[in-house]
Amino acid sequence: MAEREKILEIKNLCMEFPVKRREKLKALNNVTFDIYKGENFGLVGESGCGKTTLGRTIIRLYNPTSGEILFNGRSISGKLNKDTRKYVTDNIAMIFQDPISSLNPRMTIQEIIAEGLSIRGIKNKEEQRRMVVEILDKVGLLPEHAARYPHEFSGGQRQRIGIARALILNPSFIIADEPVSALDVSIQAQVIKLLLEMKKIMGLTILFIAHDLSVVKYFSDRIGVMCKGQLVELGDADEVYKNPLHPYTRALLSAIPEPDPIREKKKKRLYYDPQIHDYSKESPEFVEITPGHFVYGSPSEIEQYRIDLKEGINIFN
Amino acid sequence: MTLYEDNKELYDSIPAEKFKRVERDEAIHDAKFQTKPICFLKDVWLRFTKNKASVCAAIVILIIAVLAIFGPGMNRFKYDEQYPDRVNMPPKIPAIANLNLGIFDGGYVLKNRQYDSISDTTKYPNDCIINVTNPQVVNGVRMVDVEVDYYKYLGISDDECYWFGSDYLGRDIWTRLWRGARMSLIIAVVSVACNVVIGLLYGSIAGYYGGTVDMILMRITEILNAFPRIVIVTLFVMVAGTGMFSIIMALIIKDWVPTARMIRSQFYRFKGSEYVLAARTLGVRDMALIFRHILPNSMGPIITSSMIAVPTAIFAESFLAYIGLGLQAPETSIGVMLSQGQKVLLHYPTQVVFPAIVISLLMISFNLFGNGLRDAFDPTLRGAE
Repeated sequence: MAEREKILEIKNLCMEFPVKRREKLKALNNVTFDIYKGENFGLVGESGCGKTTLGRTIIRLYNPTSGEILFNGRSISGKLNKDTRKYVTDNIAMIFQDPISSLNPRMTIQEIIAEGLSIRGIKNKEEQRRMVVEILDKVGLLPEHAARYPHEFSGGQRQRIGIARALILNPSFIIADEPVSALDVSIQAQVIKLLLEMKKIMGLTILFIAHDLSVVKYFSDRIGVMCKGQLVELGDADEVYKNPLHPYTRALLSAIPEPDPIREKKKKRLYYDPQIHDYSKESPEFVEITPGHFVYGSPSEIEQYRIDLKEGINIFN
Repeated sequence: MTLYEDNKELYDSIPAEKFKRVERDEAIHDAKFQTKPICFLKDVWLRFTKNKASVCAAIVILIIAVLAIFGPGMNRFKYDEQYPDRVNMPPKIPAIANLNLGIFDGGYVLKNRQYDSISDTTKYPNDCIINVTNPQVVNGVRMVDVEVDYYKYLGISDDECYWFGSDYLGRDIWTRLWRGARMSLIIAVVSVACNVVIGLLYGSIAGYYGGTVDMILMRITEILNAFPRIVIVTLFVMVAGTGMFSIIMALIIKDWVPTARMIRSQFYRFKGSEYVLAARTLGVRDMALIFRHILPNSMGPIITSSMIAVPTAIFAESFLAYIGLGLQAPETSIGVMLSQGQKVLLHYPTQVVFPAIVISLLMISFNLFGNGLRDAFDPTLRGAE
């Protein structure tokens, strides 16, 4: 892969939540990866594997336990001072999963979208109004919708309002935390198309968090697979789909339903058993197995993955 | 993908121009809403008026409030005017007495009177007798119970009637009742307002910051809650003296704790919600988060609980008055009147009945009104009936 500008670098990021006294839940365990400027990075994994935590840690809703986050080369981990906080909120925006609970029911759409503007010193009501109408038009809503309350809108419309709120500040990086998983399929397509269009117009970089693999494949340039707070495989979308190496990735891919009933019946479902890894003798590492394709494993496992790769694997039968 | 790989030859043999794009490329655009936009307060009003019970409650509260303001000035008596010759008079309203309904007719039963003297106009002035009952013979003398119009019996003219009767010092109960309701309402509303303000500040700090701050603040409230109220109030009245101020203080001193707890729990409920997180990702400051995002959404429970706290405070004030820690005479409150009326309950029940009716109406109405307000303030309940 050619040298591309990195917009986000994450190094050995760890995030722990205290569960009880002296007991901690490791939500993120040594996560390391980069996101390049202008790409769509898809993050997949089962529920509770830490995808959302990763997204929220990047935008600093949580304080990481250890590790480093660099945004455009500037460190945004550690203690936030006023300047860095402003830098983060100016440049990174987030789209939330639940279109119902992510909009304050007591505020009109105008107030919701313009909130970020007034924080950034655009206090003039006329100016705010103009910008809100403009962004509403971009996401396919009408100016008169600005005076409405969130409960008057449908799920897809609300998600578009959420997108408008994220985009009005002209961020360069967007974290989309399962933006379509609460919507039905026809609306999913609508929202994803809108996101891609916005990306084209505004030159965005998107971190797309999802558990729906088909959506991620359609959307992403590169894919990271997470399992239990750990990034287990990372690579170009096509590469990961064609040559999944880590058993967890294989299990995930084997779970995609196929649109052909005969093949679907014949398909072998793979199950992932974390017990197969024996990390007592050798410690696992995140290794670049082919250019741009990383996988997590112990040296002997990596050896096996290389053989698999050479022989060409077909996980489905 | 696999379908294609399996039938490569078949699919490749189809000429490209036979394919048609199914996906439409037109931009999404929504239709205008058919309904008119409704502003928040109008919406609240619409939903509130739908609830008949709470509208009635609001009207009752309004009537009591108006009477509390203007009631004492509506007749010729003052709340502290004493008439030693007209004590414990029964209630009489001439207009109602003329209807012969048996109420507000100044009727009072004189027991065990000689039957023979009934016609004696020096003893029983002209048509003061309403009813004669219970004839019996005691020691050869015919005795009866005579119900008389007590005002005519004493020779008091109609325009000097006590509408709700008078108490043991001859003070007008109508005037004192509304004067008392006024005092009770002022004490209750002021103390509840103070409680809400204190509880709001305390609860929102504890709830928003959580962790150690929350732990320390909540332990303090628990210590405060552990003191028995009577002891605190007695000590307080000893130090500050009796009076409105010290009663209000006594109702504040530990009653803000439940409000603070309720608001704290509301903060815990909303501070993790996605719209608060979303606001934080936009860089909204703590104060704006508290006052713009979290508080408006917890307004429903706050309003309901403070509406329910008003009758509770009235009740607490009555209780204090009842045990003798209430307002100083001649000032009055509903509690003072109840405790005075209770002493003569068997002979002059009306002295208890009127304050009791007013306090009951206040309690029920404030509860219903609070519920109605909560429903009205919660847009998520729209169309849920």
